[in-house]
Amino acid sequence: MASSATSAVYIHVIEDVISKVRDEFINNGGPDETVLSELQRIWEMKMIQAGVICGSIDRSSGKKQPTPGGPITPVHDLNVPYEGTEEYETPTADMLFPPTPLQTPVPTPLPGSTDGSMYNIPTGSSDYPTPVNDNGGNTDVKGGRPSPYMQSPSPWPNQRTPLSVDVNVAYVEGRDEVDRGTSHQPLTQDFFMTSSGKRKREDFATQYQNGGYIPQQDGAGDASSEVAKAEGSNGSHFLGRHDSATAAKSKILAHLARSSSKIPQLDGPIPDPYDDMLSTPNIYNYQGVVNEDYNVVNTPAPNDLQAATPAPVAQNDTVDDDDDEPLNEDDDDDDLDDVDQGEELNTQHLVLAQFDKVTRTKSKWKCTLKDGIMRINNKDILFNKATGEFEF
Amino acid sequence: MATFELYRKSTIGMCLTETLDEMVSNGTLSPELAIQVLVQFDKSMTEGLESQVKSKVSIQGHLHTYRFCDNVWTFILHNASFKNEDSQETVGRVKIVACDSKLLSQ
Repeated sequence: MASSATSAVYIHVIEDVISKVRDEFINNGGPDETVLSELQRIWEMKMIQAGVICGSIDRSSGKKQPTPGGPITPVHDLNVPYEGTEEYETPTADMLFPPTPLQTPVPTPLPGSTDGSMYNIPTGSSDYPTPVNDNGGNTDVKGGRPSPYMQSPSPWPNQRTPLSVDVNVAYVEGRDEVDRGTSHQPLTQDFFMTSSGKRKREDFATQYQNGGYIPQQDGAGDASSEVAKAEGSNGSHFLGRHDSATAAKSKILAHLARSSSKIPQLDGPIPDPYDDMLSTPNIYNYQGVVNEDYNVVNTPAPNDLQAATPAPVAQNDTVDDDDDEPLNEDDDDDDLDDVDQGEELNTQHLVLAQFDKVTRTKSKWKCTLKDGIMRINNKDILFNKATGEFEF
Repeated sequence: MATFELYRKSTIGMCLTETLDEMVSNGTLSPELAIQVLVQFDKSMTEGLESQVKSKVSIQGHLHTYRFCDNVWTFILHNASFKNEDSQETVGRVKIVACDSKLLSQ
């Protein structure tokens, strides 16, 4: 806690600064007196939060900040649940998807996290078995597999519960029309089902085709574009080198490469399928949704639910892009920053002063300092003069 | 007149810098005006320390690193003790940054 002496000095300095800059704020066409008052208010509030000045301040402006921890940010006033900042999951999701009106009634009960989990389990279990059953009945293993995925991103479907019901309906009814997001479910499941037969993959591949295009699943095809053919053959050749993949895998890949030109891409840039094959170990890349494949692998539930609903598709695509890349980048940055700078600047005790004299005799250093601020053991100490004797 | 921007790294200086950054980001304040406020802070802080503070401190410790560059001394002490009239503090590691006091009076 700050001593009253340092607190008084700081308050004096603040008042001095504000009074000296008042002219600049008012006279030279600058912003108002109100802006100046706001500056002073926020500055003092931060200092109170830092614990360097005492809470009771005699203020000439008359504005009193009753709660030192009062929230300053008026920006995110959209949702009631944002006040519950302990719920890290729910407000984040709310802030990301504010515009959809469906969401506002859902997250209002803060114990919606528990309600959400209640929704979560039936939703998850109903989502995954649906494609499984349709695809020829891999039963227990597939049904068991995705359940861990469902439970880890549990907060996400909280606000999607009304939509998740739609997802199930949409998926069953119009599978071809539904976005690639839902069709990713069997894809991602398939990735982990290495022991499943080739037939399953071929069946999946069949489902991806829109417009009734029947894929060719063996041999060289009369492909419309030679480029696709070449890419397909290159891809299969690559696969042949890369691992002991079965012939079915190469066929599927070739077929996917050929069909890549036929399927209309709904979002994002069109990556070169050959580059995709080279760069990614998973061979079941789907054109135009390379990034989203991995996202679905990590968090299958939210992407599926979002993509399947026709209305927020466009939003969710952009939101996904915004979420994924900045999230991934920021993680590394934070780690590095903490390691390098945290030790030096933030946690380190610091003395800022002016020196009058610094001398050394052999290994004995002496210095005289003046007018300093010390930040030591979380306290601020000011001094007018200081003498130091250091042994090198 | 030149000022020591040294004190901007203190708690009070960082609070002011953060506040000004927020207001400039909001567009409430122009960057030029924010810089003027910081310069005024430098002056007021220096004057306040000269006039308002009367305490004396003695420092002892093991000098781990010393550096003198651009008329700024930087010391890193290990196991330092700071003796005040009222109290004594000890820290494992402290950095001391000191500018030349003669520069201001020139």
